[in-house]
Amino acid sequence: MNSAGLEQCGMIMTRKNYYITTDGLLKRNENTLYFINKDLKRPIPINKIYSIYSYGALTISSQALNLLSKEGIPIHFFNRYGFYSGSFYPRETLLSGDVIIKQAEHVIDHDKRIELARSFVRGAALNMRRVLSYYGIENGISDTLMDLDSSNSVTDVMNVEGRIRSDYYNAIDSILPEGFRIGKRTRRPPENMTNAMISFGNSLLYSTVITELYNTQLNPTISYLHEPFERRYSLALDLSEIFKPTLIDRMIISLIKKKAIKAEDFEHGMNHCLLNNSGKRKFLAEYDRRLGKTVKHRELGRKVSYRRLIRLEAYKLIKHLIGQKSYEPFVMWW
Amino acid sequence: MVVTVYLLIVYDVGVERVNRVKSYLRTELHWVQNSVFEGEVTESQFRRIETNLERIIDRERDSVIIYSFRSERAMNRNVLGLEKSPLDVIL
Repeated sequence: MNSAGLEQCGMIMTRKNYYITTDGLLKRNENTLYFINKDLKRPIPINKIYSIYSYGALTISSQALNLLSKEGIPIHFFNRYGFYSGSFYPRETLLSGDVIIKQAEHVIDHDKRIELARSFVRGAALNMRRVLSYYGIENGISDTLMDLDSSNSVTDVMNVEGRIRSDYYNAIDSILPEGFRIGKRTRRPPENMTNAMISFGNSLLYSTVITELYNTQLNPTISYLHEPFERRYSLALDLSEIFKPTLIDRMIISLIKKKAIKAEDFEHGMNHCLLNNSGKRKFLAEYDRRLGKTVKHRELGRKVSYRRLIRLEAYKLIKHLIGQKSYEPFVMWW
Repeated sequence: MVVTVYLLIVYDVGVERVNRVKSYLRTELHWVQNSVFEGEVTESQFRRIETNLERIIDRERDSVIIYSFRSERAMNRNVLGLEKSPLDVIL
C-alpha cells in the first residue's frame, strides 16, 4: 500500500458504536453479526463494532454473545425509559492484580481516597465553570470550590459537589427558553424535558465510560467519590462526573438553542417526561457525532476524540495509583 | 500513531468462492450492495484484508479491486436509486 499518500488523521475510530432503538434480534451467522427487525436485516461487521447500546426489546442468541465476548465488545442495555439496566461485560483480557491492589489501597487509605474524591469533584466543577463561562453566565463555582480543601470526609466532598451542581443547573436555566428550564432536578422519572435529557444523557455517558474502563486494567467497581457498593460500576460514576458538563450538558444546551430538539420529541405523561423514539434517535446521533469529534491534545501534541479523552482519563488514574504521576482531572481547555 | 484509510472493495470472483469472499468481508467492512464493501480501516487491518483475500481467491480467474482513499471525506458518494444498505449506526 502506498503509505506516502496517506493522511495522518489521528482519529482512530474505525470501530463504531451502534445504537439499537428498535425491537429486534441480534444473531450471528458465519462470524458476523446481523441485526434483524421487521423492516430490515443488516449485517454489522464484527471488526467494526466498538460497543452496542440497546434501547429496544432485543433478543440475542448465545452465539452472538460468544462472538461479542471473543472480540471484547460490550453491550449496554437500557429500558424503555432510557434508564440504564445493565451491561454485557465480556470476559476481561486486561487483568492486572497489581492495579487492583493499588485501586483498593487508595480506597482503604482515607487520605488517598479523599484526595481522589476531591480531584473528581474539582474536575467536574471546573468543567461546569467552563460551560457557564462559554455562555457568559456568572457563577460562584470558584467560591464553593474553596470548601473542597476543608472537606475531610467523602460525604462532605459529595455535599460540595451537590451544592455546585445545583447552582450550576440554576445558572443554566437563565439561558434556557421557557419550557426547557430545568427547575428542580428530578430523576426516575424526570418531570420535564431538560431533566429527561439530562437523565438520558447521563446514563448514556455512564455506559460509554464503562466501555472505556473495560479496555483498561482498572476494576470498574472500585471507586473513590461514589461508594464502591455492590451491583454497579461505581468507578464509571466517578469518571462520568468529569465529562458530564463537556459532553452531555453542552450538547443539551446546544440541542435546545438550535431547536434541534422540540417538545414533540418527548413523551409527556402525567408526572413524567421522557424522550420518545424520534427524540432518542436525534439525541443518540448527536452524542455519537460528539464522541467522534477531535480536539488537539496539548501534551500529546495530536488530535484526540472525546471518546479517547475518557480513556486517557483512565490511564491517568492508573498512573496515579501506581505512583507514577499525580492525577490531574481533565478540564476542557478549548 | 495509527493511520487509517477508507476502502472500497469490489470483486468479481468465481461462483465457488463468492460466498467465502462475501462472508469474510462481512466481518471487516460494511456491505454496500452485491459485490461491494466499504469502510474505514487501519493500515494493519488493510494488510490483513489483502492477505486474507489473496488466500481465498484464485489469482488466475478472479478479480478483486481495492480503491483506497485518505479518508471517507476524500470520496464522494452519490446514490442513484435505492440505497441497499445505509451505513448509519442508529438502527
